[in-house]
Amino acid sequence: MTLHRLMTLLMTLLISFPLTAAPICVDDARSESVCVSYPVERVVSLSPGATELLFSAGAGKQVKAVSAWSDYPREATTLPQVGDSNRLDLEAILVLKPDLVVAWVDGNSAPQLEKLEALGIPVFWLEPRTFEDIARAVEHLAWLTGHEDTGSVRASEFLSGIAELRNRYRGASPVRTFYQVWHQPLMTINDEELIGRAIQLCGGDNVFGHLPRLVPRLSAEAVLEANPEVIITGGVDEEDRRWLEQWQRYPGLRAVASDNLFLVSPSLIQRPTLRMLAGAEELCQVLEQARARL
Amino acid sequence: MRGYSRALGVLGLVSLSCMLLSVSIGSASLSVADTFSVLTGTGTPLQQTLILELRLPRTLSAFATGGLLAVAGALMQVLLRNPLADPYVLGLSGGAAVGALLAMMAGVAGVVVSGSAFAGALLSTFLVFGLAHGTGSWTPSRLLLTGVVVAAGWGALIALILAMSPARQLPGMLYWLMGDISPAANPFPALILLIFVCLLVFPLGRSLNVLARGPMQAAALGVSVRPLEWTVYILASLLTATAVTIAGSVGFVGLIVPHMLRLVLGNDQRLILPACALAGGTLLVLADTLARVVIAPEQLPVGVITALLGVPTFLYLLHRSR
Repeated sequence: MTLHRLMTLLMTLLISFPLTAAPICVDDARSESVCVSYPVERVVSLSPGATELLFSAGAGKQVKAVSAWSDYPREATTLPQVGDSNRLDLEAILVLKPDLVVAWVDGNSAPQLEKLEALGIPVFWLEPRTFEDIARAVEHLAWLTGHEDTGSVRASEFLSGIAELRNRYRGASPVRTFYQVWHQPLMTINDEELIGRAIQLCGGDNVFGHLPRLVPRLSAEAVLEANPEVIITGGVDEEDRRWLEQWQRYPGLRAVASDNLFLVSPSLIQRPTLRMLAGAEELCQVLEQARARL
Repeated sequence: MRGYSRALGVLGLVSLSCMLLSVSIGSASLSVADTFSVLTGTGTPLQQTLILELRLPRTLSAFATGGLLAVAGALMQVLLRNPLADPYVLGLSGGAAVGALLAMMAGVAGVVVSGSAFAGALLSTFLVFGLAHGTGSWTPSRLLLTGVVVAAGWGALIALILAMSPARQLPGMLYWLMGDISPAANPFPALILLIFVCLLVFPLGRSLNVLARGPMQAAALGVSVRPLEWTVYILASLLTATAVTIAGSVGFVGLIVPHMLRLVLGNDQRLILPACALAGGTLLVLADTLARVVIAPEQLPVGVITALLGVPTFLYLLHRSR
């Protein structure tokens, strides 16, 4: 065998194992392993939360399109949109030729995404129910997009912030808390929901925490009977106190009597992203104020 | 007439006891004794708030809404001489729904939503009136056809609004469409209207009885048919618009209550109309009580329960009447 032929053989071997696209597999929220050619270059985000998590993971430049209402960070607002989370424009997604789509269990339609999967587009599902889930989502998205370092730094910063809050309010006296998600129908959250977990973190005691549904719908009567010491809401928009004013009709409520009606910033606390740390800090301060007024 | 007063007396007693029951039970547990002590002016502040500010207005609103819908349904059935007619058949609830949903989509709440629903209902009423009246030759079937097509148009607009709205507003919109009494605040205008319409039976009852047999016979017996028909249409529309403004489009009460009562009491409008007010009110009070307590402290929209209660009851009566 001549040297020349040996070289040709080597070349052939090298070409058949391309160096750039090594496959990588990561488990998503369904515990299914999602395999992509590493690192992915064209990502489509299908919910405002997923958009935020992708940018937090350092993958902002790889995000080629987002769902409607993706308003944070600012860069995301200039990206093309592929429809509302629950009514995606599949054609618009296909045209972008994504090598990864990031979906959200509570918001996206599974049948729509099965179609994308059937067409060979990998779908990474998110279902953040705990602070650890949020951190893990950032890490996993960072692995898929080739930003391992950024991802692990951001995730551990977030978790240590949460741990710090947990330590600070461990001994705080429990405050009976009602968190209002919506007014008509009246909705709240239970202990399993992320806002519910933030309330526990701050030493609050969610009066409807024991209910089985993640987002229970209530009567005003149930709230009066539970007689919370503090009522908190995100409101429809920032700085919208209308829902709180409606409780003023019941001066017998402890929360009303002690003037414990508070707004927290909905964009911080109602989205399962790293900004939830800031939301939890705000919530803890609010509960601390409430304690002082009781 | 003595049979009539007995039937109405029994219905009245049933209504009263259902209202008492509804005021006594809820997600917060109070005994009947507690309820009585609150109604006689004592009781703890919490009990007073629960009963006087939350349950009583809600129960009265439910009664008024149910009564209005049932009477409106009975009037529509007489007007259109069609057993399938209900208060919504001419598109009124569709117009109200478009009004209410647009207000919700714009992010407003409370009085504006009700006001917008009422405006939508009136718009729909005049639209159907104008279109059916336009060319001069007028028949109930022309009115029915106009109403049904206008209703279909509203239905398309409702679907469009639901499709365009952000997801977080959908539960509120769906509750409105299914019928939900929890937002109701002041029941008295509706109650007064209900009493007023029951009193109207005295001047109008006999003519309505004749009209129910057909316009030819009515005209032959000296009833001026056209003005009577329009009075009935405007009246039924006003009642329905008021009901829809309070509780959204609660289905089914307006269709089945008049039929149920006709199966049991016969078809004399002088009896049927006040009986509808009582029975429709009672049905909605019971349904709303169930909606509050079956999965308490969580809530269901009342419209779900009216259909669940009404369908088997109606089928039973229909089966028995053969």
